[in-house]
Amino acid sequence: MSVTTELTDYMGFQGLLTDEEKLVRETARKFVNDEVLPIIEEHALNETFPSHLIPKMGELGFYGPNLPEKYGCAGLSNVAYGLLMYELERGDSGLRSFASVQGSLVMYPIYAYGSEAQKEYWLPKLAAGEKIGCFGLTEPDFGSNPAGMRTNAVREANGKWRINGSKMWITNGSVADVAVVWARTDDGIRGFLVEKGTPGFSAPKMHGKWSLRASVTSELVFEDVIVDEEKSLLPNVKGLKGPLGCLTQARYGIAWGALGAADACYQAALEYALSRIQFDKPIASYQLQQRKLAEMVTEITKGQLLVMQLGRLKDQGNYSPAQVSMAKMNNVHVAINICRTARTIMGANGIMSEYPIMRHANNLEAVYTYEGTHDMHLLIIGEKVTGISAFR
Amino acid sequence: MKILVCVKQVPDMESRFKPDGSGTWFEEADLAFRMNEYDEYAVEQAVQLKEQLGNEPEVTVLSIGPDRVNEAIKKALAMGCDRGAHIQDPAPQGKDPWQIASIITQFAQGEGFDLIFTGMQSQDRGSAQVGVLVAELLGFACATTLVGFAYADGVITAKRELEGGIKGIAKLRLPAVVTCQLGLNIPRYPTLPNIMKAKKKEILAIPVADLLKEEAVASTARFYPPARKGGGIVLEGDVGNLVEQLYGILKEKTTVLR
Repeated sequence: MSVTTELTDYMGFQGLLTDEEKLVRETARKFVNDEVLPIIEEHALNETFPSHLIPKMGELGFYGPNLPEKYGCAGLSNVAYGLLMYELERGDSGLRSFASVQGSLVMYPIYAYGSEAQKEYWLPKLAAGEKIGCFGLTEPDFGSNPAGMRTNAVREANGKWRINGSKMWITNGSVADVAVVWARTDDGIRGFLVEKGTPGFSAPKMHGKWSLRASVTSELVFEDVIVDEEKSLLPNVKGLKGPLGCLTQARYGIAWGALGAADACYQAALEYALSRIQFDKPIASYQLQQRKLAEMVTEITKGQLLVMQLGRLKDQGNYSPAQVSMAKMNNVHVAINICRTARTIMGANGIMSEYPIMRHANNLEAVYTYEGTHDMHLLIIGEKVTGISAFR
Repeated sequence: MKILVCVKQVPDMESRFKPDGSGTWFEEADLAFRMNEYDEYAVEQAVQLKEQLGNEPEVTVLSIGPDRVNEAIKKALAMGCDRGAHIQDPAPQGKDPWQIASIITQFAQGEGFDLIFTGMQSQDRGSAQVGVLVAELLGFACATTLVGFAYADGVITAKRELEGGIKGIAKLRLPAVVTCQLGLNIPRYPTLPNIMKAKKKEILAIPVADLLKEEAVASTARFYPPARKGGGIVLEGDVGNLVEQLYGILKEKTTVLR
C-alpha cells in the first residue's frame, strides 16, 4: 500500500500552525509511516499490542507531551498534542489509545492531583515509557454513571488504605506498572496509585474483541489490597471531578485522533477510486462516488476546524468540558461514517486486511463508546444549551 | 571546530506540480514544504561529528528562502544544530546555483568555518552545483556524494559513490566541503522535547541583499511537464514471429544484445 505523505488539508488549517506544531506532526507522521504501518495489520489480526514501540514512543516524547519539561515532558501546545494524536490514530486507534491513557489518564492526574514526590517519582518514568500506566474508573455495572461505583477504599491504621472492588474495560491494564484507581471513600471518590504486584491486585486480560485488537484491554480486580497513603493516595482532589478532569483531557485527544483514522480511510478510498477502472473509466469519475468523496473530505475539514478552535481555546485555558464533548461526539461520529463509506467505494477490497478500512472502522466502534458514549455527549451538550440535565 | 550545514526547503515530492505564471518555475501555492532529503543526511552527519568530538564544535544551519524556511532551520536545530542563519529571500528560485553559492560564501567568509556539510543536490532543482561552487569560492577541499564519513586529527575519510555503484575513498584535510548522499546515515527524528528546546536557540535573520554580490550566469528558460508518452507497440503473430520481432527491436533500439 502506498503511503500518502501529507494529511488531508482542504481548508489550509495548517496555515494556523506554528513551526513547532508542524514539526511535531512531521515527526509523528514519519514514525507512523516507518514503524507502525508496516506491522499494524499483523498485530490487529493476532490481537497483540506492538509493545516494542513503547520505548521508541517514549524516546520521541509522545507520552504526556503537553506536560511541563520539568518532569521530562515536552511542554507542547494543546494543538501540537492533538496533531500527535491525529497521526498516531492514522496508524491505529489502539496505538493512540495507549498514548492517550499514558498521557491524559495516568500522567495528567499524577501531575494535576499528585504530591510533588509522586510527580517526581512517576512522571519522568512514564514520559520515557520505562513505566506503563492504566486508568481504572469504569466498572462492570457502572459505565456512563461512574458516580455509582462500588469499588471502595477504607482508611486503616498506620497511614494505610484497603481497596476492594473491580474495574472493567481498562486499556493497558494487564501490562501496566501502575494503575490510577478511583474508589469510593467516606470522603467521596478518591484516586489511588496501585502498583503492579501489590498483593490482592490482579489484571486479567479480556480476549475476543472485534475492535481495538492491537490494544490490551483488561479487568482490574482488588481483593483487600493494602496501599500506603503517602505513596498511593492522590492528595489534591476529592469527588468525581477528579476522574472527569482526566477524561476531558483524553476526550480532547480523541477528537483529534478519530480524524486521523478517517483521513487514512478517505485517502485510501480516493486513491482506489482514481485507479479502479469500471466501464472503461476510473470509478472516481462517477457522480455517486464523487458525492461520497466530497462529503468525506467536507466532514474531515469541518472536524479539523472544530478541534483547531478547541485546541486554541485550551491553549488559552478558556474552554469547557461541554465543548470537548461536542468535538469528541462529532469527530468520532463523522470518522466512523467516513470509514464505512470508504468501504463502499473500495468494494470487496474494502473488507481485506491489506487495506486499513475495516480495522479503522471496527476500532472506531470502541472509540464511539469509550470516554463518554456518543449518547452521553449529546446529553451533555443538551444540558449545556437547555440548562436541563436529562441524565441526572 | 566550527561547522556549517546548508539546507534547502523543497516541496513534498509526491505533490502534483504545475508551472507558475512566469513559466520558469512551479506554482508553490498548495504545496507542502520540507527539508531536502539529502540535506537531512548532512544535518545528521554534522550532529554525529559534534557528538564524536564531545559536543565541542558549534554547528550552524543555514537556509535561504522566505519565512517558511524557518521550519527547516528549526528542524535542524531540533536534531542538534546549535544556531540558525536564515538568509531572507522571498524568491530564491530566481537565483542560479552560482548566486546561491556566492551568498553562502559571503556568509561563511565572516564566520571562519572549518567544515561545511550539504546535500549532494536539491530534490527540486537538482543541479548538484552549490556544494562544489562554495568549496571553490572558499578555496576548500571538496568531496561529493558521500556514503561514508569518518573524521580524525583534522582529516576526513570520505567514502564516495561513483558511477555505476563503484565506491571511492577520498581523504581531505580541513577546511573542507562535503556533499551527502542517500545511504550515508539514517537521520534522527526531531523528538518532541527537542523541538520545544530548539525554540530557545538563536536564528540570525540576514536580508539576502546584504550577501548577494554576483550576477546570475545561468537562467531557467522554461519549466514544463514532460510530453505525454506515445502508446506502446503491440506485437502480433505466432510465437516464433513474436520472438523475431522482439529480437529485432532489442537489437536495433537497445544495447542489451550488443
